[in-house]
This record gives sequence, structure tokens and C-alpha cells, in this order.
Amino acid sequence: MFKPADEAMPHTSYTPPEASHDDIETVVGPSVVVEGDFASEGNILVKGTVSGSVKTGRLLTVEEGAKILANVHAGEAVVSGEIKGNMRISQRLELTESAKILGDVSCKILVVAPGAQLQGKISMGGIAIEGGAKEKKTSRRTRMSGDVIDEEE
Amino acid sequence: MYVYLYDNFLKHKRYNTVLTGVETRLTDYGIAGKILRLQHYANAEILVEDEIRKGAQTIVIVGNDATFGHVLSRAAVCDVTFAFIPVGPDNTIADVLGIPVGVDACDVLARRRKLRLDVGWFNNRYFVSQLHIPPSDIVVEYDEKFRVASRTSAMELVVCNLKPFVWQGKGNRYVVHPQDGKLEAFLRPVVHTGMFKRETFEAPSIFPFEEMIISAKKPFVVEADGKTSKEKRITIKLAKSRIEMVVGRERQF
Repeated sequence: MFKPADEAMPHTSYTPPEASHDDIETVVGPSVVVEGDFASEGNILVKGTVSGSVKTGRLLTVEEGAKILANVHAGEAVVSGEIKGNMRISQRLELTESAKILGDVSCKILVVAPGAQLQGKISMGGIAIEGGAKEKKTSRRTRMSGDVIDEEE
Repeated sequence: MYVYLYDNFLKHKRYNTVLTGVETRLTDYGIAGKILRLQHYANAEILVEDEIRKGAQTIVIVGNDATFGHVLSRAAVCDVTFAFIPVGPDNTIADVLGIPVGVDACDVLARRRKLRLDVGWFNNRYFVSQLHIPPSDIVVEYDEKFRVASRTSAMELVVCNLKPFVWQGKGNRYVVHPQDGKLEAFLRPVVHTGMFKRETFEAPSIFPFEEMIISAKKPFVVEADGKTSKEKRITIKLAKSRIEMVVGRERQF
């Protein structure tokens, strides 16, 4: 009669990838300043300042106190510092309590901790709601007319 | 034909037992060969080229990290298979290559598991282990794409190829993979200079790269494979698959 919780509510568990210490990853230290088109094939860990553009197909970690003044392209990102620029993340974006983002954000999964500050447009691809277009039309008409007058039907 | 290049320090009698053991094991395997003793100012490239002309097919370096760097910094241009028998202290490269120190290295040599390794190149010579620039006011430009500078003035730079970079601060150890198609640069800005000019460094910044230009207003010291020079601008590049090397099964790449 009753199904176990796992069967009744199927959910996909997601484990964020962690920066492996065995892999040499790109690390920008706290008093290091990087200027230009900063690109890496591996994980990037930013503790200092980066200006220009940042690009990686893997994980970008921005630590608290770090500052990025650039457009960011990354596979995944965990942000605890400040970013001024647009962010295009192909998978998961996590904003921790100390994160400050000033720019448009595009990602697939968004995790925002209480206290994180974000100013910009958020777009997440892959959203499909059944009948969305029709409902949208109706609501527009309602808003315009303010009553249940349907001129089209 | 095998040619063995013995480092000068192996003349010391404390190494007699190890070397006798090595030579006996090599004779057992039937791979014993000519032995040459390296002098400090010997140009390894001329020496190796000469031996190749005489029919050498494998050049075996016998010694430590310094011997390895000394020979390959010049002889990396030679078209021959290299091998390594680590003897004595200061052998960190052997560990990366999966070669045990002492007599057991002969077993690895006899198996002849060969791989092509990347080496670093700077100002017309190769470096296989490590390039080091002591704290200087340098600006680094990577792959002609981005520049790296320090908010404080001086930075120390270490470029690793085969020799692992060990950061003494918290005992972290980064093992560099010679086959990854990149060189790794470790930059450490000086945070504080204390008594007796003892410097405190920040945690290292790490950048993998293929080409890097280092410049400064004043000449800075460059140490590569044990050799020191003063430069104002250097270009460091990666020479992919430059040397063929006999490696062990327990190698770290």
C-alpha cells in the first residue's frame, strides 16, 4: 500500500565535484593579481584578484576575500568571494553566505545560501512547464483587461 | 650497447659496496658496459654524442638528482635511450620515475620499460628537474594570454618538471606529472622579511603552462638543474616527448 519514501519520491542525488589534491590545479594566491584571458583546462581556485576573463571547463572555486572583475565561463562554480561580471556556468553554481555577484548569471542548478548577494538576471536553461504559453497569454489578457472578458474565444 | 656515466662523487669509498653490487647485478643480466666518470665541467652532450657514434644505444646515468640534471640539460638533444641508476642521497626524481635507489634499480633497467618524457627549455638549454628563481621583482606572462604579478613586490618562482616541488610551510607535497603535456609553475610572493633576512612566503599560486615569459627591470638569478645565471628576460617552454627514458612500474605518472 505504502511505498518506501525512495520509490514514492524519486530524486536524483547530486554530489558536487571536489578539487582533488592529487591533480595539479590552477591556484591564484591571496596577494597575486592576474590580468588577461585567464584560461585553464583543470580546476581553478581563486584566492586573489583576477581581471579580464576566466574560463575553465571544470570547477571554479572563488574563496572569501577573492575578487573577480571579469566574465566567467566554467563547468561548475562555488563562490564565496566577489564577482563583477557575467557568469555562464554549464552545470552547478553554488553561492555561499559571503558571495557577492554583480552581473547576469546563467546555470543549470543554482544553490544560494542565506546571506549571499546577487544583483543581475538569472537564466536557467531546460525549463519546460506544460501549457505555459497558453497560461501566459491568458494572464496577459487578464492583466490588461482586469476582468474575465475573453475577446478571442 | 650500454654506457654508464658515473658521477664524480661516487669515487668516495662509502659507495664502493653499492657500486660493486650494481655492477655484479648488471653482469648477471648481461647488460654491463663501458663506465665513464663525469667531471664537473664535462659537457654531457659532446660525451654522449661521441658514445652514440661509437655504438651506444642506452646511456645510463648513475648518481643523484644533480647528476641527472647535469647530463640531461645538455644531452636531451641526443637521439638515444636514457636510463637512471640512483645512488646516494638527494634522489627525489628516482621516486617519480619509479626507480628504486641502489642495486634494485638494475631490475628496472633490465626490464626496459620505455616512455617519452617532456622536458623544459629555457634560453637555449634544457632542464629536466627544476628551475628556480629566488625572490625577485618579476612579472610573469603565461602563454601570451595573461600576466601575473604580486601585490607585494618580490616573488619566488619554481618551475617543476620531474623534481617534485615541496612547500615547507605546511609540509604539502605536490607531485608533478611529467607526461601531462604541461609544466607547472609555483609562485610564492614574499609576505614578510624577518630577522636575518628570513623570508616568510605566502601559500603558492600554481599555474600549469606551455610557454612563459619572465621579465624584470633588474637582472634576476635563475637556477636550473644546479646551474646559476643572471637574466633580465627569459622564455620557458615545454619540449614535449623530448627524451626516451627507462622507467619503473611504480612511476608516479
